[in-house]
Amino acid sequence: MAEILQILILGLALGGVIALMGSGLSLVFGVMRIVNLAHPALIIGGAYITYLAFKAFDIDPIAMLPVAAVTMAAVGVVLYRLLFQREARSAKYSEMTVLLTFALAMMVEGLLGSLFTNTQRVTSPDYATAAFFIGDVFIPKGQLYAGLVSLAIIAALSLFLKYSRLGYAIRATTQNREAAELLGVNVQFISVLAFAIGIGLAGAAGSLVSFVFSFFPAKHWEWIAMLMSVVVLGGMGSILGTVVGALILSVVAAFVGTWIGATWSTLTFFLALFIILLVRPQGLFGEKPEMA
Amino acid sequence: MTKLLEVTNITAGYGDGPAIIDGAHLTVEPGKVHCIIGPNGAGKSTLLKAICGMLSIRKGDVVFKGERLNGLRPDQILRKGICFVPQERALFAKMTVRENLRMGGFILDDKKELERRIEGILERFPILRERADQHAGTMSGGQQQTLAMARTLIIKPDIVMLDEPSLGLAPKVVQEMFDIMKMMSAEGVTVLLVEQNALMGLKNADWGVVLDLGRTLFEGPAATVLADPRIQELYLGGKKAA
Repeated sequence: MAEILQILILGLALGGVIALMGSGLSLVFGVMRIVNLAHPALIIGGAYITYLAFKAFDIDPIAMLPVAAVTMAAVGVVLYRLLFQREARSAKYSEMTVLLTFALAMMVEGLLGSLFTNTQRVTSPDYATAAFFIGDVFIPKGQLYAGLVSLAIIAALSLFLKYSRLGYAIRATTQNREAAELLGVNVQFISVLAFAIGIGLAGAAGSLVSFVFSFFPAKHWEWIAMLMSVVVLGGMGSILGTVVGALILSVVAAFVGTWIGATWSTLTFFLALFIILLVRPQGLFGEKPEMA
Repeated sequence: MTKLLEVTNITAGYGDGPAIIDGAHLTVEPGKVHCIIGPNGAGKSTLLKAICGMLSIRKGDVVFKGERLNGLRPDQILRKGICFVPQERALFAKMTVRENLRMGGFILDDKKELERRIEGILERFPILRERADQHAGTMSGGQQQTLAMARTLIIKPDIVMLDEPSLGLAPKVVQEMFDIMKMMSAEGVTVLLVEQNALMGLKNADWGVVLDLGRTLFEGPAATVLADPRIQELYLGGKKAA
């Protein structure tokens, strides 16, 4: 029983972080139909910002989170204006963004590789290797803090989307871009804003990831598969779905990792992706795709 | 004749594709119901989309209250006072009726005033109050159309453009839509209507416009359009006049 509880806690804590990593990806797809394959590479960008501040000035990774988020959001504005804005009305926009963001991911990886080499990095605040103990069960402080901060950020994002005027505009644009425009929403501005928020979330996730996982520039290839599984399970564009998908898959992966073998836990995400696409391609909370 | 909106020989189409309307013109008088009729592919919906800024105008002018609208975005044109309900009704399926109404007043800065107007709409359309917390996507076609039309009233627009409001609705419900339209008109809202059911559209309109192959062929009082034997034969499914 203690073992099951232990695995559950570890899975949920990690699931919170993965939910934050995927939420930006989901938001950007929901509002702009951009399948951002470069999202994890940008998370790694946020991780390096945090790493540099930790190494140079001993700044706590969680304290650096707002800085990484704002910096990456600014990067998001530039990227959107340079790469995506002009083609936003193209009928093949989503398909084009797959290739475009694939190229972007390679460029970000190359840039980070030339700046930081491919050595594995990790920030190591005191809490990263500490744990709480409740009886036989331990809760790693680093994963717990990262998970809780992630869920707090996602809760704040959800409240913003649910109740603020801009949140209404983002949700409206997600559901029906044309209708939103007809009701007075400047969808170009909302697209830039949503992209900036999405990449800002990548930056925030980067700060947390920096002490939960070790990272290096090419690590994003591993993460994109994991994040796509989470987002597809939840339903592309659904933040709630991303959270639920991340928690489910992380917990299942934790059980697989413990009971079958660590090397098999990654397979959980790939297997889930195949099964979801075959059985319920719209995911748990997504809209059913229209048949041609 | 007082002109609220004047469309002069405009050319417009989708993207870089061929022009769908070429030489369309239209004059809209305040407070009246105007009905655009014509066969499939005549460019009726395209004309409305060009007026509201969804399509760029390649040639010609759209002038509203003396101001040229060419080149403005849909959100900017809405702020001028022109509201458009497309065929698909432009609702947010996963938002509740109340949230859809809130989106209808997105351009209003005064939140209290917006809530007051929403209450006013719910008062006038009891079916919407009944469904206020229901997702719009789960309502019937008629209820969705009622919501789409009622939502336009939140911002008290000068002109409401309706693209095929009767599409896919049962005959009894269609009449309800025309009743709402008449109510709008009685309140001083100018209505510009595209209607496939030309006979019904013209019967409920003050002014008729006949569009074919992207060009305006005729415009005049709806009664005159209805009585014209050539129009009856070509566009109203009637027999050739003797």
